[in-house]
Amino acid sequence: MNDTRVPWLRPVVALFVGAVFFMPLYLVLVNVFKHGADIVPDPAGLPSPPTMDNIAAVLSRADNLFVYGLVNSVAVTAISITILTVLSAMLGHYIARSRHLLAKVVMVTLLCGLLIPSPVILAPITMVLRALGLMSTAPGLILVNLGYYVPFGVLLFMGFVKSVPLELEEAARLDGASTFRTFWQVVFPLLRPASASVLIFLGVWIWNDFLTPLIVLGPDSGTTVTVGVYRAIGEHQSDFGSVFAFMFLATLPILVFYLALQSSFVKGLTGGAIKG
Amino acid sequence: MTHTRHGVRGGDPPAAHRPPLPSGPTPLRDRPPRDRPPRGRRRVSGRITTFALFALPGLLAYLLFVLVPIGMTAYYSMTNRNPFNPPTKWVGLRNYAELLGDAEFLKALANTVVVTVIVMVLANVGGLLIAQLLDRPTRLYVALRGVFFTPVVLSSVVVSVIWQVVLTDDGLLNSALRGLGVEDPPGWLSDPGIALYTIAWVITWQMLGFCVVVYLAGLQGVPRELQEAAAIDGCGPLARFRNVTWPMLAPALTINTVMLLITGFKAYDQIQVITNGGPGTGTTTTMAFQVVQTSFNGNRVGYGSAMAAVMLVLVACVSVLVLRVLQRREVTR
Amino acid sequence: MGAEAEKPAAGGGNVTLSFLVFETPNLDAAFWDAAIARASAKVPGVTIKKLVTPNVDRTGYAKQLDASGNLPDILQSVNPAGFAQAGKFAAFTADELKNFVAPTAGAVAGKIYQLPYNTQVIPVVYYNKTQFAEAGVTETPTTYQQLLDVSAKLKAKKITPFVVGGGGADTWADMYPLTGTVATDVYKKTPDWLTQRAAGSVKFADPAFTSAAQKISDLAKQGYIDPAGLSRSYADTEQAFRDGKGAMYPMGSWFATSADNKKPDFEIGAFPWPSDDGSLVVPTFTGGGTSVSSTAADVDLAKKWALAFDEDQQNNDAFVKADGSIPAIKGYKPPADMGPVYKATVEIYERGMAENAIVNAFSQETGDGSLPPGLADKTAVAVQDLITGKKPTSEFTAYLDDQWAKATQ
Repeated sequence: MNDTRVPWLRPVVALFVGAVFFMPLYLVLVNVFKHGADIVPDPAGLPSPPTMDNIAAVLSRADNLFVYGLVNSVAVTAISITILTVLSAMLGHYIARSRHLLAKVVMVTLLCGLLIPSPVILAPITMVLRALGLMSTAPGLILVNLGYYVPFGVLLFMGFVKSVPLELEEAARLDGASTFRTFWQVVFPLLRPASASVLIFLGVWIWNDFLTPLIVLGPDSGTTVTVGVYRAIGEHQSDFGSVFAFMFLATLPILVFYLALQSSFVKGLTGGAIKG
Repeated sequence: MTHTRHGVRGGDPPAAHRPPLPSGPTPLRDRPPRDRPPRGRRRVSGRITTFALFALPGLLAYLLFVLVPIGMTAYYSMTNRNPFNPPTKWVGLRNYAELLGDAEFLKALANTVVVTVIVMVLANVGGLLIAQLLDRPTRLYVALRGVFFTPVVLSSVVVSVIWQVVLTDDGLLNSALRGLGVEDPPGWLSDPGIALYTIAWVITWQMLGFCVVVYLAGLQGVPRELQEAAAIDGCGPLARFRNVTWPMLAPALTINTVMLLITGFKAYDQIQVITNGGPGTGTTTTMAFQVVQTSFNGNRVGYGSAMAAVMLVLVACVSVLVLRVLQRREVTR
Repeated sequence: MGAEAEKPAAGGGNVTLSFLVFETPNLDAAFWDAAIARASAKVPGVTIKKLVTPNVDRTGYAKQLDASGNLPDILQSVNPAGFAQAGKFAAFTADELKNFVAPTAGAVAGKIYQLPYNTQVIPVVYYNKTQFAEAGVTETPTTYQQLLDVSAKLKAKKITPFVVGGGGADTWADMYPLTGTVATDVYKKTPDWLTQRAAGSVKFADPAFTSAAQKISDLAKQGYIDPAGLSRSYADTEQAFRDGKGAMYPMGSWFATSADNKKPDFEIGAFPWPSDDGSLVVPTFTGGGTSVSSTAADVDLAKKWALAFDEDQQNNDAFVKADGSIPAIKGYKPPADMGPVYKATVEIYERGMAENAIVNAFSQETGDGSLPPGLADKTAVAVQDLITGKKPTSEFTAYLDDQWAKATQ
């Protein structure tokens, strides 16, 4: 597009497309702060007056569904993605540097894991958890997350590791560093964009996952905040104010997390594949 | 060189007869000890430690919580397991034979293909166009990128609820259309002829931002000099795109396509929340939805496992195929 | 780890029992907590851990929990089909059931696995009196032909005759008209039709059931059923009726208290789904109470608690006020201050009892003589095809027969 001829065309079109695209989100935002009774008659208008009642209602629920859910979500997600980043980096590095055929076989096996939707293997997963005595526990859920999401992390890291020159590692090893230290002190810092990508993607997926925590944690171990959204929908379908407020509050943490990491994350996703 | 017994017993041959040092790398045995990789048992135990430390934890988790369940699914697929109708018996390939003639399953398969193809095409094309639109560094465009990416960060349950509110027959979209004078707006969710496409749209909406971001990164990797050179050679904008930009976007295309393929194939949440497979039998069922319905609601775990196995094989084959085709383009840049 | 607050019973607890409940706009958290406390006050030695179903499908959730080895000890309103046959639920003895009006309702192989604690009339046709008056309808229809005439009059005044749901995840909400026609066209003559179907002596494709299904198809073809309902969730459907989007609302009797507690801006009346010849047919479901898992820590204590929960006078008053149930406990009388719609509903029920016109409500039955597991859901989806006109009645009945065969193999 030649911008000099019609300079205002691009921003206008961009804003228009963006506005149309954003409309559903605007609807949620505008109705979170609207009095419940005003939502149905005037769903698209701005709230007048704006109110924090819906948010207050969510935060002060008798069963504390949101607050407990938030604590659980933050804990499970943070622990899962930290361990996942470490494990996938190490495994990805191992496979990328290994010259054995076995490594390639392992990689293909890992790829299969990417293609399975979790509802499909959920029932057998619960059987494994029960055999290990970890059913309905948070560590059990974290382990399931580890197993399920490690393929994605490995793939991302593998692509990136290939762009780290082998000589760097050999030089470090020549200096007497163990493989372990070589990895952590030399290679891993160079993988920062990939780490950011892994943290964001897996963070978003684990935070938003509702079926797995629903089944694995079960009803009496406390739920995650996304399961809470599902429950809030089930109970109060016509009370849009509180449903939207719940969804809004449940999304805020992960949105903030993404915004904090977003600059490095795109580099990580594409850096391994797309050369500038 | 001659090594007489004399020479071997007696030590090194006299200096004059020592062979010149080879010009290649120093043989292993001649290097100082620290440069040598560990030999013998130390080397094996070193390799095992490396493996145990680096690879084992991840692989173990994957084994226990993905491979073993897949194996169990494969096993159950050849039984008639039904938790409410014991006992479980081995039935061999009977479930698979039944699948071939199961109209509901085949419809779910067809629906999944339709949804996946639509998502793959729309999100890719839309993502590319919007990426081109937003390919400027000023703050407005950076902010708009955030707007487009936000749905990717949302839970698919949240996205489904939002769109259901918008798309019910007396929902916001139709109210707006009626306000604009459209008398009989379509039943986006209640018309069985449209509902599947509506679902495909919801998934596309959520994935569009992902494609935008990936294409933007790709576009920013296309060197300006190439574009300018092509312009000087007299290429119009369309030809420039086709000959310079598009080939260099091949890796972005691969990432997006594979991601969309997997997302489309796995679609479950949106169907469960927005239409529950309806309206009408088989209208918006997808394979993942059908598997869950059969195994959990219908209690036919054996049959559902066979469905899951077929689903896995299908998506694996298609993914490999798609990857092969796309990656070939990447190499011949 | 944050966890849901436990609700300790008065009197402390030696045995902890989990209790699965479900929350609806009628039955909220406060309601359940109060009801649980009342039962626990009567049965010492029990601590109840309340578990909440994430959506309204408590039977589906119970199945998921069972599949992951987590079946709760006590369950509320969970269809015992499947659980009973697999030995997962405990049976109640005749002595334990001595206070129930219908101690054999919902029996599986002759044994009771879910306390038959309340009766619901499903469906009752609730109607908008103002819109009826607008269309010049002066009397409620007593025969099916009169129902069609009323619908024609309403349509002439541009009022949609029937509000029917079935959208979102609430596919089951489209079943009520069919439940009505099956009651009048099939069950009146053959009350044990489903038992005969299980024995294979009748089929869905037979004339009786086909005529019931054909009526729905015809209603849809004439435009009497609002197809927009297929996109509406259950809550939206009720809201649509309240917003005057349709004149008649075939719905279970639980709507009565919602109608009384939150009055819309028109008066609501009620009449039973009319049969061809005008004789009274009242489809009901009795059951819906508490079940006990056979793997509970103390099954006898759990059963005692369940009985206390279902028989407690104040609990039943609360259920009546919140959910319009008609408790089937001997000697129970609903509170005197119930609203007009509830009273009208109970009147229909009592008339049915007096004239011996009570039959089953198709797809709501549990136990012997009910649909095989999963079939009620499939039927609800297939009804959507009838409403949109995508499937003719013959295909609909053939589909049901086919699915029955698959579900029982």
